[in-house]
Amino acid sequence: MTLSKQLKPLLLAALLVVAGNIFTISAATAGMLEDVQKRGTLRVGMATFVPWAMRDKDGNLIGFEIDVATQVAEDMGVKVEFVPTAWSGIIPALIAKKFDIIIGGMSITPQRNLTVNFTTPYAHSGQQMAANMQLAGDFKTREDFNSSDVTIACRRGATPCKAAQKLFPKATVRRFDDDAQAFQEVVNGNAHGMISSAPKPRFWSDAHPTKVFLPFGDENLTKGDEAFALRKGDPDALNFFSNWIVVKTSNGWLQERHDYWFQDQSAWKDMVAPQ
Amino acid sequence: MDRNSPPPKQGKQRFTIVDFLLFAAVAALILYAGYRVNDVLVYHWNWSRVLGFLVKYDQESQSWVSNLLLQGLATTLRLAIWATVFATLVGIIMGYWRTCENLALRIVSRCYVELIRNIPPIVFIFIFYFFVSSQLFPAIGIYNIDRDNPWVANEVFAFLFGDPALLDNFLAGMICLSLFEGAYITEIVRAGIQSTPKGQWEAARSIGLSHFNVLRDIILPQAVRKILPPLAGQFITLIKDSAIISLISIQELTFVANEVAATTTRVFETWILVGAMYFVLCYSFALLFAHLERRAKRSQR
Repeated sequence: MTLSKQLKPLLLAALLVVAGNIFTISAATAGMLEDVQKRGTLRVGMATFVPWAMRDKDGNLIGFEIDVATQVAEDMGVKVEFVPTAWSGIIPALIAKKFDIIIGGMSITPQRNLTVNFTTPYAHSGQQMAANMQLAGDFKTREDFNSSDVTIACRRGATPCKAAQKLFPKATVRRFDDDAQAFQEVVNGNAHGMISSAPKPRFWSDAHPTKVFLPFGDENLTKGDEAFALRKGDPDALNFFSNWIVVKTSNGWLQERHDYWFQDQSAWKDMVAPQ
Repeated sequence: MDRNSPPPKQGKQRFTIVDFLLFAAVAALILYAGYRVNDVLVYHWNWSRVLGFLVKYDQESQSWVSNLLLQGLATTLRLAIWATVFATLVGIIMGYWRTCENLALRIVSRCYVELIRNIPPIVFIFIFYFFVSSQLFPAIGIYNIDRDNPWVANEVFAFLFGDPALLDNFLAGMICLSLFEGAYITEIVRAGIQSTPKGQWEAARSIGLSHFNVLRDIILPQAVRKILPPLAGQFITLIKDSAIISLISIQELTFVANEVAATTTRVFETWILVGAMYFVLCYSFALLFAHLERRAKRSQR
């Protein structure tokens, strides 16, 4: 009996506090650019993906994305803060305001564009295929891979698997949670080939030259566009980042950084791990 | 043997030839499996790259400091301990509410338990992270915490809670884990309270102890001693469930291991090493609880 008498005024007080807070939240809808400049840091969401973003020997983040994001923040006059996020939840995390922008090599697709805004593309990569020398050594054209006794491995939930299904509809497609697992299947001889974003297949075939090769050379199977992703409803921020990309493309900075990280691993391989 | 001779000594544990053969057979099986795996799996083992992520030599301070994996382990440890504390708190309060006479409290605690127990952990974690915490945390101002405040930017805070920049991340993971495990601990505590004889309540009330005193001094000590084995199991499950919350990007051991595995492409070495780290962590907890159980047994007749 005494408990319910105590509960009622407590419940009323709690309701008033929550109500007061709700009104203050709705009033604070300034743009993202003002928020970032007031806070003094740009929070960037990314995921580990060689060589877009990875960890060096000391545990620091390095990579193409890191260079791009650091330069953006410097041009904005703020510091940069990276929020490593699991790729499968990165768009919901952006919408839930865990960070301000996704600079993570995210390919532009119409489905994603329905939930987030994309800037102009700042990089163009594509999907490449690495194949097992023993099983697919004499495969020369795409039609060779498009048969029912060919197995193709790919990382689930992303563009590689969609490309695999579209380009090789008759082949068996096996999905894995990780690029490294998909690649391991090819090395072990359980899959004829695997599809992944360039330049990973080239890096891997360089590491296993006797077992794995690139059947189509450096030619990409599909062409993709990568851009920054922002929350919807903020045209000012979208304009700023798109134009930043235009400027950096024109003066060649983006191309120079892209070549440094993607051409071959020699420039930065020592930073990543002792061999 | 007659009544004048001393009693026979207890037989000593001796290894017979049968035991030796059994051990040899198991060892041979493990070695054969290892050899077959190595044969079939074309993989260049390279442990040095992954071990380098445990500790690194810092040039500035000229000493060995912890690297990513040990930092992830520290976060997991902090998560485990704080979540254990809060889950126990939640579990004891809700466990008591499950057994008291007030209908409202019984309904609230029953709803809490059934809602959480009947959802898979990953689903609960996603619901909590994307819906609840994204609405709740901005309201209580976690994101605007002043990082230069002396209460925040000191060694003790970093030791207890980790990097202030990752505080909201850490809190989300901790609350998520506590709420989830609290439901299971509620049921364990309820079982403990209900197994204490009703006579204890009646006798304690009849000598004039207040309701709260009876709970604190008579019922709960007896209940906790009884439930130590399942409680130990639940806390070890809590540590293992902390690996699942890497899916919401909490920077604990599994998340960091994923980054290391992706960067070095040494998948097997990373995960075997991380598995060993989790084993050491959980086994230490198990030993701690075994020690507590022995202490509890000592006080029983």
